[in-house]
Amino acid sequence: MTGSLWWLAVRLALASLAGAAAGWPFGYPGLGVAVVLGAVLVRHYWLLRRLQRWLHDEPGALAPDVEGVWGDVIGSVARLQRRKQYHKLRLLRLLRELRRATTAIPDGVVVLNPLGEILWFNRTAVRLLQLHARTDVGLRIENLVRQPEFIHHFRSGEYTQPIVVRAANDNAAYLQIQIVPYGAGQLLMLVRDVTRAQQLEAMRKDFVANASHELRSPLTVIAGYLETFSQDPALDPQLAGPINEMRRQSTRMTAIVEDLLALSKLEAADGAAQRTPIDVAQLMEQLHQDIGPRLGAGTTLVCTAQSSARLLGDEAQIHSAFANLLDNAAKYTPAGGRISMRWWSDADGGYFAVQDSGIGIASEHIPRLTERFYRVDAGRSRATGGSGLGLAIVKHVLQRHGATLSIVSAEGRGSTFTCHFPPEQLAAV
Amino acid sequence: MKSGGSGCDPAHIFPAPVRYSANMEAADLVHHTSRRFNEDLERVRSKVLAMGGLIEQQLSGALSALIDGDAKLGRAVAQNDHTVNGMEVSIDEECSRILATRAPAAGDLRMIVATIKTITDLERIGDECEKIAHIALRLAEDERPADRYRAVKHLGRVAQGMLRDTLDALARLDAELAVRTARLDRRVDEEYESIQRQCITFMMEDPRMIRRAIDVMWIVRALERIGDHAKNVCEYVIYMVHGKDIRHTSLERVEQELMSRAAP
Repeated sequence: MTGSLWWLAVRLALASLAGAAAGWPFGYPGLGVAVVLGAVLVRHYWLLRRLQRWLHDEPGALAPDVEGVWGDVIGSVARLQRRKQYHKLRLLRLLRELRRATTAIPDGVVVLNPLGEILWFNRTAVRLLQLHARTDVGLRIENLVRQPEFIHHFRSGEYTQPIVVRAANDNAAYLQIQIVPYGAGQLLMLVRDVTRAQQLEAMRKDFVANASHELRSPLTVIAGYLETFSQDPALDPQLAGPINEMRRQSTRMTAIVEDLLALSKLEAADGAAQRTPIDVAQLMEQLHQDIGPRLGAGTTLVCTAQSSARLLGDEAQIHSAFANLLDNAAKYTPAGGRISMRWWSDADGGYFAVQDSGIGIASEHIPRLTERFYRVDAGRSRATGGSGLGLAIVKHVLQRHGATLSIVSAEGRGSTFTCHFPPEQLAAV
Repeated sequence: MKSGGSGCDPAHIFPAPVRYSANMEAADLVHHTSRRFNEDLERVRSKVLAMGGLIEQQLSGALSALIDGDAKLGRAVAQNDHTVNGMEVSIDEECSRILATRAPAAGDLRMIVATIKTITDLERIGDECEKIAHIALRLAEDERPADRYRAVKHLGRVAQGMLRDTLDALARLDAELAVRTARLDRRVDEEYESIQRQCITFMMEDPRMIRRAIDVMWIVRALERIGDHAKNVCEYVIYMVHGKDIRHTSLERVEQELMSRAAP
């Protein structure tokens, strides 16, 4: 390029000299130079015009075949253009593939800018949220998806959990919406139709509640007859053993059914629990009296209430949760053991702990303890007559009160179950 | 760098809503010299639509409470009405503030005026939902009729759809959808009359049915009123977009006029 520019300058100088030489005999060397330079200028202008026409008017046409410095320029431009064309095609292909992939995603996808305005969405989102393909880009998502829960969730800026809302056009349909922040404040909104899952969940809950309810009446009849039989002196003494066993099992079944009903009631209750101030010290006193007869011989139970703060909650539910914890401690602490119940509070909230010197739980079982019917080992809970639902009830009650359950245990040395209530669940006296 | 926007500000790259290439007036609603002002207006609009969303939920809750005999849901809807009222007051205050401090003109003024009217109608729809919820609460104690309020359910669906389309038209500033939705009001009126006749027949056949039939009539009356209020909101949308007051004008004429405007 620089070479041809040099050559151009040299040629220009030579042409000017030739023009001066041609004009010399006529006494007008200046005019000769001017004529030659003018001709050169016209030629360059003409080439420049061709370049411009090629660049603007005929996209995609072959580059004009020119020699010299203009040929160089045109060649470079053509090279650049070819490279650009190549990259553009590659990007286009990539973009098309991406589009196809996102369209094929079975979930609805909406891309939002930091203000919540829609940038892009796929076809599933059109179907699930009734968006309009062309007109809705640039509109705010909260103006179109108006479910109050969604607006609240969207404005909260807390997107760790997905939310489930009713579909706007169909009362029976449910959508799960998950918002994922990415890039510079942009948001990716994933929408999924969870109607079927919701229906199944509702069916399961209904089934458990109905089945438990239906089982209760026949169980009462069976238990009643068994009780009559066991008190009948005319009965064959050989049958006494089996009848007593049947009575024990029917009592256990009744307990399971009662616990199942309690659990399904807890599940059906939506929203937060009521907030009645509960005097925990008094509640502990009552629990102490109730559990007394069930303690093993020589087992001591210590109650310490170190805080006078009232717990805000549903008294019946809290009572059943604490009683379940205490019941477990009593069941798994052999005679001569020690159980302690403690209530205290600090800046982080209130704590209710039940500590025992019982048989303890191996660490691998602890995470699964609150599952329904989870058994640490097959013989254990059946021998003690538990329903297998106690800790599940405790977990549900605590969840409804915003509280958490922590379990510390060592095999052979006992366990500590601690309920932690957040400060907003407490009230000073 | 189009239209002088600074490149890095997302608000400039993605301009606010409304694309009506055929209609310059609608586009006017968007362009502002003051960005803060524009944000104020957008916020008011989002608030109105959030209020609309809550009312949509109230209506669907009230109808479910009636049809499923769910007293708990009915009570929740009735108690939630004060939230709707609170929203109306807050939007009203914001509109007054904008009127006082920004002195909007042309399209913006139309938007504010239409918003003030819209929230009044929305609040009334909320009141009708509360009314339905209260009656549903009372009816939940009785046994549900054999047809499970089929006719009411159907009318309720139409009213729900109308409310949804109305709010969509407001969100998209879609005058065409507003006209189409306003037309649905006639269907609501017809169904209202037919259910009314049915109720009268029931009452004549069996005097023990009178109490329930009167309750059902109150409910369909409320649904019919919801249709009327939704139609009003549709008219404000048309006013907002086209600057034309179409109240007390037949919808056919409005539609013709809008078509003739869009054509050239």
